[in-house]
Amino acid sequence: MKRSLFGRVWPNATAVVLFIGLVFPVYWMFSTSLKPRGDILAENPVWFPTDITFEHFRTATGADHFWTYVTNSLTVTVLAVVFSLIIALAGSFALARMRFKGRRGFIIGFMLAQMAPWEVMVIAMYMIVRDASMLNSLVPLTLFYMMMILPFTILTLRGFVAAVPKELEESAMVDGCTRVQAFRRVILPLLAPGLMSTSLFGFITAWNEFALVLVLNKDAEAKTLPLWLSSFQTQFGDDWGATMAASSLFAIPILILFVFLQRKAVSGLTAGAVKG
Amino acid sequence: MKRKLIAAIGIAGMMVSVAACGGDSDDGGKKAGADGYAGETLTVWVMDGSSPDQWQKDVAAEFESKTKAKVKFEVQTWNGIQQKLTTALSEENPPDVFEIGNTQTPAYAKTGGLADLADLKSTLGQDWSESLNESAVFDGKQYAAPWFVVNRVVVYNKKVWADAGIKDTPKTRDEFYDDLKTIGEKTDAEPIYLPGQNWYHFVGLAIGEGAELVKKDGDKYVSNLADPKVAAAMETYQKFQSLSKAPKDKDEATPQQGEVFAKGNVAAFIGMGWEAGIAIEANPAIEKDLGYFTIPGETADKPEGVFLGGSNLAVAAGSKKQDLAKEFLKIALSDKNEGALAKANGVIPNKDALQSNLKGNAAAEAAAPAAAGGGTTPLIPEWAAVENPPNPVKTYMTAVLNGKSPAEAAEQVEEEFNKRLSQEQ
Amino acid sequence: MTVQTERPPSGPADVRKADDGGAGRPKPTAASRAGAFAPYLLLLPACAATVLLLGWPLLKDLLLSFQNLNMAQLIQHVTEWNGIENYEETLTSEQFWRVTLRSILFTAANVVLIMIGGTLIGLLLARLGRRMRFTLLIGLVLAWAMPVVAATTVYQWLFAQRFGVVNWVLDKLGWHSMADYSWTSSQMSTFFVVTVLIVWMSIPFVAINLYAATTTIPNELYEAASLDGAGVWRSFTTVTMPFLRPFLYATTFLEIIWVFKAFVQVYTFNEGGPDRLTEILPVYAYVEGVGNQHYGMGAAIAVLTILILLGLTSYYLRIVLKQEEDEL
Repeated sequence: MKRSLFGRVWPNATAVVLFIGLVFPVYWMFSTSLKPRGDILAENPVWFPTDITFEHFRTATGADHFWTYVTNSLTVTVLAVVFSLIIALAGSFALARMRFKGRRGFIIGFMLAQMAPWEVMVIAMYMIVRDASMLNSLVPLTLFYMMMILPFTILTLRGFVAAVPKELEESAMVDGCTRVQAFRRVILPLLAPGLMSTSLFGFITAWNEFALVLVLNKDAEAKTLPLWLSSFQTQFGDDWGATMAASSLFAIPILILFVFLQRKAVSGLTAGAVKG
Repeated sequence: MKRKLIAAIGIAGMMVSVAACGGDSDDGGKKAGADGYAGETLTVWVMDGSSPDQWQKDVAAEFESKTKAKVKFEVQTWNGIQQKLTTALSEENPPDVFEIGNTQTPAYAKTGGLADLADLKSTLGQDWSESLNESAVFDGKQYAAPWFVVNRVVVYNKKVWADAGIKDTPKTRDEFYDDLKTIGEKTDAEPIYLPGQNWYHFVGLAIGEGAELVKKDGDKYVSNLADPKVAAAMETYQKFQSLSKAPKDKDEATPQQGEVFAKGNVAAFIGMGWEAGIAIEANPAIEKDLGYFTIPGETADKPEGVFLGGSNLAVAAGSKKQDLAKEFLKIALSDKNEGALAKANGVIPNKDALQSNLKGNAAAEAAAPAAAGGGTTPLIPEWAAVENPPNPVKTYMTAVLNGKSPAEAAEQVEEEFNKRLSQEQ
Repeated sequence: MTVQTERPPSGPADVRKADDGGAGRPKPTAASRAGAFAPYLLLLPACAATVLLLGWPLLKDLLLSFQNLNMAQLIQHVTEWNGIENYEETLTSEQFWRVTLRSILFTAANVVLIMIGGTLIGLLLARLGRRMRFTLLIGLVLAWAMPVVAATTVYQWLFAQRFGVVNWVLDKLGWHSMADYSWTSSQMSTFFVVTVLIVWMSIPFVAINLYAATTTIPNELYEAASLDGAGVWRSFTTVTMPFLRPFLYATTFLEIIWVFKAFVQVYTFNEGGPDRLTEILPVYAYVEGVGNQHYGMGAAIAVLTILILLGLTSYYLRIVLKQEEDEL
């Protein structure tokens, strides 16, 4: 297919503009966090940090309990994602591969569950947890975060499971595998991209959650990183260097995960999304 | 519904028995003498900036040596404190002792979340000054112990003022304005950093005008912002605000005005003495240029009206360490420690006899002349709801600064203001 | 659509095996009868979690919405029923309806922008050369991966009144009145920034998925279309779009939910200000409930918010309902 010069140039030109627009906020976050104070509050922006300083990162990581928050956030997020993957895998297998009464009801049910506006139910959740004497603990947080991501995980995984050719499973069973074995040896490996892409979403949601942990956990020992990041602004006022360093530290784990998982995840995601 | 009720009774019964247990252990502790507190930890919430680290250390040391128990200070920020405090007070392990703003105390006293401190008043608080204690008393009961009050002063940068050729600090409002104008013309510094929502200063101005923010309408409180006296206060505020480049829709804590001032390019701000400490911490070099003066009033003989912001110390009704909490209050509010706090922070202590500690504290000496003419927001339980963000008084201020007439702005926020004042308790 | 073909009940008798244990099958063996429960067993953990962790808070919220629950009641653990008073007050307040309308318009505007932008970028990705496509994908992934709390903070810095880079650029472009512009000062400017933020964060999901979806369109379809004499536009409308339609429905549904619930972005950027003019429903529920310590009222608004969200998505839910019916 031949295209005119214009036809070849404009997609690339648009792509470059889009690329800059998409990346700039991320770039500005990192570059601000590395600039000395004078360069941050400059009449003319310093586009490329020449005079690099790690001072802001020291301020950010030097905050009280920083490493406790990191550990808490990682614990809660990873556990929530793992639990929801396990539970969702079982459920999505049933929804994608089996025929039974009420299947439609379950699907609609999970879709409704996906819509739950958690932020507005915070007080109800707080009162439940308070009356169960579970405040300042990571357990309710893990459970609720798991629930926040469970419906999406089930619905997306269901698409992935459905996309695995049934014949593979059957032939494995012909070869003498039990259904469970067939599932473990054949389907599970094929589901890997699906598991990754759904876990990415789960990870982001749980990593970001803010409103619930704010009321549930008042003890510094049980707080998570989003609280730390938001308290930064009140604490440091217009110290944008430290705030951006904190934001960078907060974003880095997710960015790394994305870079590692992105390709596999994306290739499989359509399967999940299309099968609405 | 019935089942719910039964459940509720059951829970109430359980709570009573739990409370009884708590009481027992407390009594046991008492009998065992002072050493009986060993191993216990008292949690104390203090607000950001209200008590210096050194004061906390000294009090903790004294407390620990006297009771053998430990004390844990937890610093809270004003932003969102009411929501945090309300939920915390409902919990099993509330903070045992906490600092609470004087204007917020009546509302919390009414909720039943604060323990009665009558015995403390009769032992420790015989000579608490009447004006400070007013906010701690509700319905005739002592719900908190007065801690300190403080009023705002003008913190200024002597170097900038000298650069503009001004020798004396202003004595009247007009002089103050003219000086700031001169600074604006002769130097490249910002004459004053006054964000649009420094509402405590505005309340002070209103008090100076003899205005009330609320009035009684039958048995209800309603907005009185439409009062011409309030409008006059707002006009004064606007006049000075127009000299500032500070945002019109932010208060003095976002960003901390002390930090802005620390950069050295601001001639003055209106704040509390300890806010200068923020500036010094951010830029130690600024200390030698720092000065304070009383906010000038309309005439030289009467300083500007000021808001007497302050804090009380309260004990949570749900705390299981009532006696220990009172022990803490006795130590924290002793003449020695109360005096030390007054000295360090330049705040007005809870006893007139301790005022001598303020001698030599430049900020406190600048604040003192205005204190007599100071006042607070209405000390009614309905008031606390007004301070919840978005505070209608702040909205009013920003609206005027953005070009509305005071009357229009008052009308704009009236509905929200009244709604909060009449909120069901 | 994936076709749910039926599988003959063969293979070893495993508890999880028989997935076809519908009624009316000939000779139901013991194994397959047990198998009839398999799907329910598999769904049990998910359902239990949903009932316990979502159903219970929902029920609690519903109960709270019929209570007068303020500071005193919360602190003293008192239950004070007040019937439908909270609903009455909310539904008769002009402000609630204003916020509702605003929420709907806000959601609609954002979702339209996201879907159009995302679709165009997705189609653009398909047209790009390898290297360029990879570059753009990196950009999309970076924007996508930014955690919302961090992203909102970064946008506050980009749009800061003093030293914010956006104001500087606008000033240099000749728009001098913007040099010291406060983006939080008015309703429209606040919504503008929040919209830019949300669109920026959401477009990658749509674009990347749409691109991935286009790669699965069999080439034969295009060939057939061009044999029929279809031009670029015709083959787009007759091949690409129909193929992408279910995907577009699903994504729009997700975006509506996500934008409607965009609490963090709106609240962190300007707390629903100035003058409560940028409050959308979740923010309104939070300010009235938690902020004003009028928790029962907040619960009632939460219930109404859920109902409105259900209304907004009901069209899609009906499609799914029908589609699943067809499959069975």
